[in-house]
Amino acid sequence: MVKHEDVRAEAKKLLESGKVKYIIAYELGADGWKANPVFIKKPEDVDKIIWGPTCFHNLIRFVVDEKRRKVQQKNPDTRPVGVMVKGCDSRAIVILLQEKFIERKDVHIIGVSCEKTGVIDERKLANKLKGRKAKNVEFGPDENFVVTTEEGTVDLPASEIMADRCLECIAHVPVITDVLFGEKTKRTVPHPFGSVEKIETLSSEDRWKFWSEQLEKCVRCYACRSVCPMCYCDECVADTITFAVSPDTTAEEKAQKIKWLDKSPVISENIFYHMVRAIHLAGRCIDCGECERACPVNIPLRMLNKKLEKEAKLLFGYDVGFDSEKPALISCFRDEDPEDFIR
Amino acid sequence: MRTNVYLPKLAKVISVKEEVGGVRSIKTFRTQFLDGGFTHKCGQCAMLSIFGKGESMISISSSPLVKDYLQFSILKMGRVTSAIHDLEVGSIIGIRGPYGNAFPIESWKGKNILFAGGGIGLAPIWSVLQTTLLRKKDYGDLTLIYGARTSPDIVFKEELADLKSKMKVHLSIDVAEPEWKEFVGFVAQNILDKKPSPENTIAITCGPPIMIKTCIKALSEIGFKDDQIYTTVENKMKCGIGKCGRCNIGRHYVCKDGPVYSWAELRQLPQEY
Amino acid sequence: MDKILAKKDFPRWLEALGAYDVYAPQLIDDVWNYELATDRKAVSLDYPQTAIPAKKIVFPQREFFFEFREADTDDYKLKELLPEGKPTVIFGVRACEGKAVTLTDLVFGGEIADDYYWKRRNAAVLVGLACASPPSTNCFCLSVNGSPHSKEGLDVLMTDLGDQYYVEILTDKGKKLVSEGGAIFHEAKPPDKKAAEKIHADSEKKLARELKNIKDVPAKLKGMFASPFWDDESMSCIRCGICTYLCPTCHCFDINDEVESQTPLAGRRVRTWDTCQFPDFTMHSSGHNPRPDKAARLRQRINHKFQYFVEVWQNYQCTGCGRCITLCPVGIDIIKVVEKVRDHAN
Ligand SMILES: Cc1cc2nc3c(=O)[nH]c(=O)nc-3n(C[C@H](O)[C@H](O)[C@H](O)COP(=O)(O)OP(=O)(O)OC[C@H]3O[C@@H](n4cnc5c(N)ncnc54)[C@H](O)[C@@H]3O)c2cc1C
Ligand code: SF4
Ligand code: SF4
Ligand code: SF4
Ligand code: FES
Repeated sequence: MVKHEDVRAEAKKLLESGKVKYIIAYELGADGWKANPVFIKKPEDVDKIIWGPTCFHNLIRFVVDEKRRKVQQKNPDTRPVGVMVKGCDSRAIVILLQEKFIERKDVHIIGVSCEKTGVIDERKLANKLKGRKAKNVEFGPDENFVVTTEEGTVDLPASEIMADRCLECIAHVPVITDVLFGEKTKRTVPHPFGSVEKIETLSSEDRWKFWSEQLEKCVRCYACRSVCPMCYCDECVADTITFAVSPDTTAEEKAQKIKWLDKSPVISENIFYHMVRAIHLAGRCIDCGECERACPVNIPLRMLNKKLEKEAKLLFGYDVGFDSEKPALISCFRDEDPEDFIR
Repeated sequence: MRTNVYLPKLAKVISVKEEVGGVRSIKTFRTQFLDGGFTHKCGQCAMLSIFGKGESMISISSSPLVKDYLQFSILKMGRVTSAIHDLEVGSIIGIRGPYGNAFPIESWKGKNILFAGGGIGLAPIWSVLQTTLLRKKDYGDLTLIYGARTSPDIVFKEELADLKSKMKVHLSIDVAEPEWKEFVGFVAQNILDKKPSPENTIAITCGPPIMIKTCIKALSEIGFKDDQIYTTVENKMKCGIGKCGRCNIGRHYVCKDGPVYSWAELRQLPQEY
Repeated sequence: MDKILAKKDFPRWLEALGAYDVYAPQLIDDVWNYELATDRKAVSLDYPQTAIPAKKIVFPQREFFFEFREADTDDYKLKELLPEGKPTVIFGVRACEGKAVTLTDLVFGGEIADDYYWKRRNAAVLVGLACASPPSTNCFCLSVNGSPHSKEGLDVLMTDLGDQYYVEILTDKGKKLVSEGGAIFHEAKPPDKKAAEKIHADSEKKLARELKNIKDVPAKLKGMFASPFWDDESMSCIRCGICTYLCPTCHCFDINDEVESQTPLAGRRVRTWDTCQFPDFTMHSSGHNPRPDKAARLRQRINHKFQYFVEVWQNYQCTGCGRCITLCPVGIDIIKVVEKVRDHAN
């Protein structure tokens, strides 16, 4: 089992030695039971750091922020930032390295193994508790979680309240680290693409109906895009104006900029937005599930990305986010590619 | 009669004049409403619509004393303003307004007025300048200090030549040109050079943000008090009536509570423009 | 004047409201929202909090201003597209949302009134449901001039007494709505009133969160505009639209033209929600942005709610519903932020 104390001691050592600028980690939120991202700058603050089944967030999102800030600074502090990563999060680092968005020396990776479980799904838990409010959730000794409510403590099996992404996880131990906490447990994943199996059996009409109903709900808050460490583009078709505007951009250029989609949250625009996002994540989505978790109207966004991950696996034998030395899926081709156009 | 604030009135373009060519082109348009219309005050703005492209907030540069048309001078900036630049005499546009507060020119009677502007910044000043000129006997000395990057960037060239017989006009360009006989340097430097007296004088300064900042500094340096200096603020706008929540600086919605501010008022507000 | 409605008669009331569009909380894919009740018999008011507040009914995320159509050369026909203002009832409105509507009323009212808003607003009857216990773990209405049984903005307030509702009629609109139900409503008796009052009093003690002593916060915020505080607080913000889109008091919007045909040109001018948390919200055409980073944008959200709105309208632009806390993907907590402002050294 990962002990808080060990992670804290490591963080303290890193900050005291000045080896890292700051550490991106998890702390306990104001509600007293869920984790929040926290930025630890001083060694005396390391006791805030926690590790538990509510550490949902993919903190690599903030490594992206750090990179953006650094680009703006005149004399940036070039030391790495420390960052706590779960297995899935570590694969996001692999992608950023593969795409040369960051360099290996930009991050000091503090890995934690999810060992036998992973993080919980808040909605599953709420349904399970039927109105009772959770006060504390901890990893159990086996494939289970220990949940405390005002009425006492219950043991809940992982299969019932664990996030789908963790049930289908193929990297519960971080794949790239500077230091690793927890055991390198072995785990079998009977259905790595389980969440798309059901919809794959539906007819295309039924699939269309399903997605139309789901995407109709989207309010285009863009939390799914904003929370994603892979959605780091400065310019996005979803924005009304492009952020690449500079004082030198001519009126002509601005006037001719194509307006890809309207701001109206109507089905045509919503589908367009989500298709663009899914395609841009093909071979890049590392299934941290953050988009789906962040969505306030509970659209099963993971399913879209999981399907593309499956396609990459079946068509090209490509596993996303394991090897930063390998070329990225969409920037390489093989001689034996069945498509003519690419050769 | 009920009026829907978001529904523009249709107007016809009656004249188009190119003030400045090139990539940062400026054109002056005069428009007449197809029916009805509105009366504005000096410093107020209007939302111009190009249907299918959107709306842009533009200062009304004609004097309220002129009744047969509204005049707008527009810098080609992006989607909407480019579409406006494509208009010809006879084209139809939408106009809603007038929006915002105004320069308190009634309370300036008997005072001298110094206009300091740069580039397209002459547009919001122009209606005050025209109005005070038409009512010259109500005001003291009128002086204009105006500058542009290069001589071709100067707007209202003919009008400025004509103005010289009616008031003091000091022009400047940023870098020297062979034919240029007047001041070379920024507007703020020209202010320091000409040293207009702050005595019983109101100064109005408009232009790009950096120019406004340097002009206010220069005016303060030569003795203008904060409440003697006026300027206009531009923030991104959509509704124009204090509802869409976009243009605020602190508690003020620039579209409704501005765009005209004395420096004394503006410096109390957070720096968000 | 106050009435009693047996729970078993509630569906009969709904069915008597044939002339109205009826909205009520419904659970779809594990998320509660106010939806048009197509099956009125199925409506139940046993629900916690919706994700999207009731504001979406009076101020929808998308609405049409007018239609433009190119007629002859360079001539246009404009067709005003005001909502028809169909009588609408919203059931289950929480006190914080009723109060929130009184705040958007201030914004969309005034000298220059917003016809689109008022068409819907005037046609809407808000039937409140007092919170016997807080519907969210982040409720703090009492701290921001509200209460779990506040009547502000509501036309009717219902209180759940077990197998019946205690029904308080608050406006003429409410009176008409109750009269549609006819004989199913009975006069409330003093013990009923007592029972309702007890539930109200108890509910005030059950709120899980509070935001105390914030009287000086507006003044404090004024002095903190340039503080590095905002950089620290906003570090984990991912700049999404959740906290503002889903806030019952947030009212910012965008206006755009949606083109349906290029030749001849035809389309509509459309209003959609917008948010101060998106970077392009304030960005000038030149690329200059007066609020260039998330620190400036978080500051705007807090300042608007706890300083500017107070300066203009003498009320917080927050009714304590807790949605922005519950739904923020990174746990940015408005209570914590305001507390830190309150306790900030000058
Ligand atoms: C009070 C006030 C007075 C002004 N007076 C004058 C004046 O007298 N003369 C003058 O020249 N200027 C004036 N301006 C400035 C003028 O309003 C802007 O330059 C103008 O609005 C720029 O609009 P644009 O559409 O051309 O620019 P753009 O950069 O194209 O767009 C402006 C807006 O259109 C939308 N938009 C742009 N591109 C896209 C896209 N690809 N997709 C979707 N939406 C898009 C965005 O919402 C954007 O904010 C004034 C401004 C203010 C606030
Ligand atoms: S988070 Fe959900 S509601 Fe928001 S844009 Fe993404 S899918 Fe739409
Ligand atoms: S505070 Fe939270 S909800 Fe609001 S923009 Fe930031 S991340 Fe999104
Ligand atoms: S600011 Fe947050 S707590 Fe306050 S009313 Fe808005 S969403 Fe609710
Ligand atoms: S432009 Fe909408 S509030 Fe000023």
